[in-house]
Amino acid sequence: MFGPGVGIRIGETASSDDNLRQVATSVLIVDDHPSFRASARMLLECEGFDVIGEAEDGLSALDAVSRLHPDVVLLDVQLPDINGFEVAERLTANGSSPAIVLTSSRDVEDLGLLAGRDGVRGFIPKSELSGSAIEALLG
Amino acid sequence: MTSLRRALWALAVAGVGLGLAVVALMATSDSLDIPGVSAAGTLLAGWGFIGAGLFAWGRRPDNGLGMLMAATGFAWLVAAAGFSDLPLVFTLAQVLGSVFFAVVLHLLLAFPSGRLQSLAERRLVAVAYLLTTVCNVPLWLFADPKDLGCDDCPRNVILIDSKESLVSTASAVLNTVGAVLVLCVLVVMVRRWRRVSPAQRPFLVPVYTAGVAVLLLLVVLVAAQAGGVESNALDVLWVAAMVPFALVPYLFLYTLVRTRMIQSGAVGELMARLGETPQRGELRDALARALGDPSVELVYWLPEDQRFVDARGHIVGLPPPSSGRAVTKVERDGECVAAIVYDAILHDEQPGYVDAVGAAASLALENERLDAELRSKVEELRASRERMLSIGLEERRRLERDLHDGAQQRLVSMALNMRLARARLRDDPAGAERLLDGAGEELEAALGELRELARGIHPAVLSDRGLDTALETLARRAPVPVELQQLPAERLPEAVELAAYYVVAEALTNVAKYASATHATVDVQRLNGRLLVRVADDGVGGADPDLGTGLRGLADRLAVIEGRLEVDSKPGKGTTITAKIPCA
Repeated sequence: MFGPGVGIRIGETASSDDNLRQVATSVLIVDDHPSFRASARMLLECEGFDVIGEAEDGLSALDAVSRLHPDVVLLDVQLPDINGFEVAERLTANGSSPAIVLTSSRDVEDLGLLAGRDGVRGFIPKSELSGSAIEALLG
Repeated sequence: MTSLRRALWALAVAGVGLGLAVVALMATSDSLDIPGVSAAGTLLAGWGFIGAGLFAWGRRPDNGLGMLMAATGFAWLVAAAGFSDLPLVFTLAQVLGSVFFAVVLHLLLAFPSGRLQSLAERRLVAVAYLLTTVCNVPLWLFADPKDLGCDDCPRNVILIDSKESLVSTASAVLNTVGAVLVLCVLVVMVRRWRRVSPAQRPFLVPVYTAGVAVLLLLVVLVAAQAGGVESNALDVLWVAAMVPFALVPYLFLYTLVRTRMIQSGAVGELMARLGETPQRGELRDALARALGDPSVELVYWLPEDQRFVDARGHIVGLPPPSSGRAVTKVERDGECVAAIVYDAILHDEQPGYVDAVGAAASLALENERLDAELRSKVEELRASRERMLSIGLEERRRLERDLHDGAQQRLVSMALNMRLARARLRDDPAGAERLLDGAGEELEAALGELRELARGIHPAVLSDRGLDTALETLARRAPVPVELQQLPAERLPEAVELAAYYVVAEALTNVAKYASATHATVDVQRLNGRLLVRVADDGVGGADPDLGTGLRGLADRLAVIEGRLEVDSKPGKGTTITAKIPCA
């Protein structure tokens, strides 16, 4: 259904991100599995992204965003404390949120992800993560 | 004749002797207007208390009430000897006579259990004895009856020096304190009266009523005395107070006779009612009526579970001894079938009666016990089904979590590493090789985890190779050395094999996790149509099947196929888990 490297764009929330790729896009990876964080870091850095931080749960993700101001947050849905949807909701609540890209090893249909409702830019299945998939979502 | 009986007879003789002596003293007294009537009244009350008291004492030696009643009778006769014209007898009776009031207060507060029930009550009684002894006796060293207005009284033989004003003032103070004390006792009794349960009513009300009347009249008497009411009116009040007082022992005996008559009628009525095959709940009502205690509860003994249940089959505990509730177990053919839980006063007053009612109802109780046992089983099944359902849901959740966190993550990681390897294939072949090696390791690990999960869902070795091989595999994998004793070589019904397998698997998991054991044994054998599965270890023991979800889940799993789980796990003695599974 979804070809490799192609993200699923949710809603049309992209607007003023046209200059994102002029410098390396900074990324925060939020996932509780260290093996995924390591693989994702390697993969994105290989494709020219600047991975500026990692967080292993929702609350430390909120803290890292306020400290590091990443352009993109690659956010796992299932986290040990608060889930990815709630992290996204809290990040978008103040209006200055980074682009949020949800990811999960579950199928998108199992997540109840609804277009334009959860304040996220899009969803990429974990096994299909790539720099180009993120770029496609950022527009 | 027991020593108690001998002592009681001796006291009875002493009571009769003292009574006759007092009558003789009163009949010849100059200070009494109608000595004959006064003597008869005195004897009626004194012998009444002594007689009823000794009877109650012999009947219930452990209850102090009889002794207190007899003491009241003796104290009353001693006080009455104060009418004597003999100076020595007069003096002794005056000095000791006041103790009578303290004994009466003690008796009324201790009725009917013979014990004072609270610290406040013990303090009231202590103050009463103190007033009538330590405070009263020294006054007689300075009290000359003639100076106090009793011209007919003989002389006080212990008089040192007459101090009229000191004695009058001290007497007024003592009387006032005494009146306050009587008021306090009155308050305690009225409060208790208001709390009387229907079961207590027949035992308490007659004596309480008379006691309260005596106390009220005593307060009025003291008030009238202080208010300077003339002596004729005081005499009338005194006689009025003594009438209910003299009635107390007779009311007490009347209560005993009446309740016994009512009870024998009630047992007959109960037998007739039980003959009509009572409906559910009617038996309790019938027993409540027979015992005169609406609070009666019936609980039924389940010998298999070694516990009591109510009529609905719910597990219940018996009330502790200090709860105001008494328990009488009912047996049939030497086996406990039920217990009657009722107001403790019935037990205090009529211990044999509840036994008689229980015996009369034992057949009906046995029938209700069977009914309750059935309900208990249904209830147990319902609870077990609920637990099985929630265990099933929890297992599925755990399975999903294990899949997601384990194999799925490894496969995701592998997919990313392979994509990276492909990107590096041309520029960095060595790096790509490392990534592919890593992916291979992840794949191996993912396969291992999937195998483990599949085994948790259903042990394939059990279906393919049978129980003995499956148990050998379990034993090999256990971290503690496991000795396999007897194992059935033949194949058994699948449900039986599966249940036996899970018993051993759970038991060995517990051995590894909690037992700190060095060794475990597994023994499975068929015996009398049952498969006995026994897992024993030499660990710390102390396992409680009611606390651990693992053991309870196992018991539930076994209950589905009519099996039972027994856990023997005394602290320090190791744990033996035995499952008995029907296996024809």
